[in-house]
Amino acid sequence: MELLWMIATVLFLYSSLSFLWKAFDCRRNQNCYLLDYVCYKPSDDRKLSTELCSDVIKRNKRLSMPDYKFLLKVVVNSGISEETYGPRSIIEGREESPTLDDCDDEVDDCMHSTLDELFHRTGISPGDVDVLVVNISMFAPAPSLTSRIVNRYKMREDVKTFNLSGMGCSASPIAIDLVNNVFETRKRTLAVVITSESIAPNWYCGTDKSMMLGNCLFRSGGCSFMLTNDPSLKHRAKMRLKCLVRAHSGANDDAYSCAMQNEDTDGRVGFHLSKSLPKVAVRAFTENLQALAPKVLPVGELALYVIRGLRHRLRRSKETKAYAGTAVRVNFKSGVEHFCLHTGGAAVIDAVGSALGLNKYDVEPARMTLHRWGNTSASSLWYVLGYMEAKKRLRRKDRVLMLSFGAGFKCNSCLWEVLRDLEDGGAWEDSIQAYPPQSLVNPFMDKFGWVNEA
Amino acid sequence: MPRAPFPELSSSVRLKYVKLGYQCLVNNFVAFLLIPVMIAVPLVLVRRGPDEIMALWHSLQLDLTQVLFSVFLLVFVAAVYFVSRPRPVYLVDYACFKPPTTCRVPSATFMEHAWLINWDEKSVQFQTRILERSGLGEETCLPPASHYIPPNPTMEAARAEAQLVIFSAIDDLFKKTGLRPKNIDILVVNCSLFSPTPSLSSMIINKYELRSNIRSFNLSGMGCSAGLISIDLARDLLQVHPRSNALVISTEIITPNSYTGNQRSMLLPNCLFRMGAAAILLSNRRRDARRAKYRLLHVVRTHKGADDRAYRCVYQEEDAEGHTGISLSKNLMAIAGEALKSNITTIGPLVLPMSEQLLFFLTLVGRKLINHKWKPYVPDFKLAFEHFCIHAGGRAVIDELQNNLQLTAEHVEASRMTLHRFGNTSSSSLWYELSYIESKGRMRRGHRVWQIGFGSGFKCNSAVWKCLRTVETLVDGPWADCINRYPVDIPDVVKP
Repeated sequence: MELLWMIATVLFLYSSLSFLWKAFDCRRNQNCYLLDYVCYKPSDDRKLSTELCSDVIKRNKRLSMPDYKFLLKVVVNSGISEETYGPRSIIEGREESPTLDDCDDEVDDCMHSTLDELFHRTGISPGDVDVLVVNISMFAPAPSLTSRIVNRYKMREDVKTFNLSGMGCSASPIAIDLVNNVFETRKRTLAVVITSESIAPNWYCGTDKSMMLGNCLFRSGGCSFMLTNDPSLKHRAKMRLKCLVRAHSGANDDAYSCAMQNEDTDGRVGFHLSKSLPKVAVRAFTENLQALAPKVLPVGELALYVIRGLRHRLRRSKETKAYAGTAVRVNFKSGVEHFCLHTGGAAVIDAVGSALGLNKYDVEPARMTLHRWGNTSASSLWYVLGYMEAKKRLRRKDRVLMLSFGAGFKCNSCLWEVLRDLEDGGAWEDSIQAYPPQSLVNPFMDKFGWVNEA
Repeated sequence: MPRAPFPELSSSVRLKYVKLGYQCLVNNFVAFLLIPVMIAVPLVLVRRGPDEIMALWHSLQLDLTQVLFSVFLLVFVAAVYFVSRPRPVYLVDYACFKPPTTCRVPSATFMEHAWLINWDEKSVQFQTRILERSGLGEETCLPPASHYIPPNPTMEAARAEAQLVIFSAIDDLFKKTGLRPKNIDILVVNCSLFSPTPSLSSMIINKYELRSNIRSFNLSGMGCSAGLISIDLARDLLQVHPRSNALVISTEIITPNSYTGNQRSMLLPNCLFRMGAAAILLSNRRRDARRAKYRLLHVVRTHKGADDRAYRCVYQEEDAEGHTGISLSKNLMAIAGEALKSNITTIGPLVLPMSEQLLFFLTLVGRKLINHKWKPYVPDFKLAFEHFCIHAGGRAVIDELQNNLQLTAEHVEASRMTLHRFGNTSSSSLWYELSYIESKGRMRRGHRVWQIGFGSGFKCNSAVWKCLRTVETLVDGPWADCINRYPVDIPDVVKP
């Protein structure tokens, strides 16, 4: 009998200990750490000055003078500087007929330079990569870009690759969501994500104004970053993912069609941006914030919001005139120190900044990124993060919110916690000293400023 | 004088029974060990006699606490075991797109169009020869835009094809499963050669007004094996999110991809690719377990991209005149064979019975230590699976796999007949094949299915499913109106 008791007790202890260990191990491996990221810096011969933009626009003989003036106006007032980059095919005059090689070269240049540096800086070999995700929205050749990377870096046979495409400017958080989900099913996994956009095959050569905006705003850029859930690499990690929220308002027809790749009346493919885009963006933004706020804000702030909301409602029902049209604001700065806003355009940054109650200091990284790099689509968030890091703003325990919008219409956000003081210059190394500049006005305003008056 | 066949026959029959006996012994080893125990215990009890047994029972002196504790221990150990298992992933049901007869492209139509679009006689003759030997029948379909002379590959037409094939498949799936669009938690779409912005996943979210917190992913460029990549992704998501379901759409949009040049290696896809789509509903909810058709056992992915030859064997490029097309290299079969071998080395230990694994291991050891001239043992996968769905990439692919895996004609029948009736529908072909097997009434509870997909990169992906309930012969579905005509005999060369 004693023996039986002993066996029973041993079995009980063993199963409870293994259960507790499994639960602990699970939680340990559920963290998603950002080991490092490298933003793409193209060579200087690819810089697109306003003068060069004007030449490219002039090459399109189908445009009339009003169209030309409209485009130039957009470029001059865009908040984009002379230092942004374009694809070689456009600079060399082949924007109307880019070859497949042009497109391949454009993405290869970005992927290879950033990945080479990423592997070098982290000291991790490509053979150790378990998961590979590429998101480039408007170029998806066969074999996929992930296969291109597997071939170049001779990755393992069992590497899990995912090639996301068509998911717009907010695809970066989507890629992180994918990797995070894979992390929760496997231990000690290393993932590499490349996010970029392909400009060369998507230059619009027609006369539809809504499709020409893309030409003026999108610029070459990209970023490769490495994620892991291995707790032993925590000491080398820069940030830890705290939460991620995705909101898709595609169920609404306006939202789905407001940013859409289509053919114009002449059959030329372009990226149409509709006038209802700001309204759609606000709706998607609100939905995202409604889900994000409880996860990000401290309990005190949420309680204050509820109380303020009730008081506002009571007052509004009593004194309609004074409070009609006003809304109760949530102070996101109580839960977040830094804001990486998608650099969709100056208007977008200002609108989002105002909605979140941000001041000039808070939106400076986004405005400066738009100025220095233009709208680099999904990778813009990483350039904004790079600015903050180069300016030595990111201190241990700070929280960084990444917020982006994209075709669909989606609004995706993710919150990171900084794990140690960060100081790398990265792609901003040689230009950070000049920021913020005295004025964001385009220096060619003198030459082309007449477009604003005409 | 020719040798009498009988001694050979009798020795091969003897060998067959030896093999059967060996398999029976090794696979039921534990049972065999327990047989002496199972015989001995009743014998001892019977010899002791009933009075002694009662005395033994009373002497045990079990009191309430001990009994309760043992029961508690059993329950606790069982709970730990069940909680730490990964969530099962069920395939509730799936639906394949059935193309309308107006989209039919019989070989005569195909050849006539080829001649009218492309005046180069050599190219047309080449395509004729390919089509005669392709194994495709007269009922395969191309999208409406491809019927124009010349084809009209606009983005609008491509979107129209996507809406036609995807929405039909999804509507069918909703009807079969009673699924409400608002209840979909995860959406994964894979379409290799058409990737508009907004994505096809956004197009589906828009059409069916899916929820705003849906987790959607759009995979593109990943080739004919992308269907299983989507299943892999959906499975990972279902492991993380409890009480969820996932809608997976696998398709290939043909409209933007017809090649209008003359390079032979690029003309092959024109002859083989046809339109198709599949919509699959996966779930990890316990209540779906009762009505699910299959349970997902394994997904194994193999990527041979590190090898330059494998990477380049299916490659999209421009020919000398600037026409874009997908070039298939001559060593495609060899590379497919190698990719399959790599995939098998991972999946083998997961699915093969102990007898095969032991033999494989012993021959491996023997080759390394005793004599390296021994032939490598090819495990018998027919012992692990009742049904095989091999990607209907082309006749040569099916022949190659039938040879490599030593399968019979019946095992590859689903693949050959799918190629005949629907052509190469890329990532959705595996689902048409599964539907064939079900329509023939061959799927029984407990049967295991192995789906093998190949695709550009070069990838070989496998999925293993177990049938949870005997599937009644389907009354609807893509095979409903023609299953009685199948299987057909497909000659090597079909002369019109």
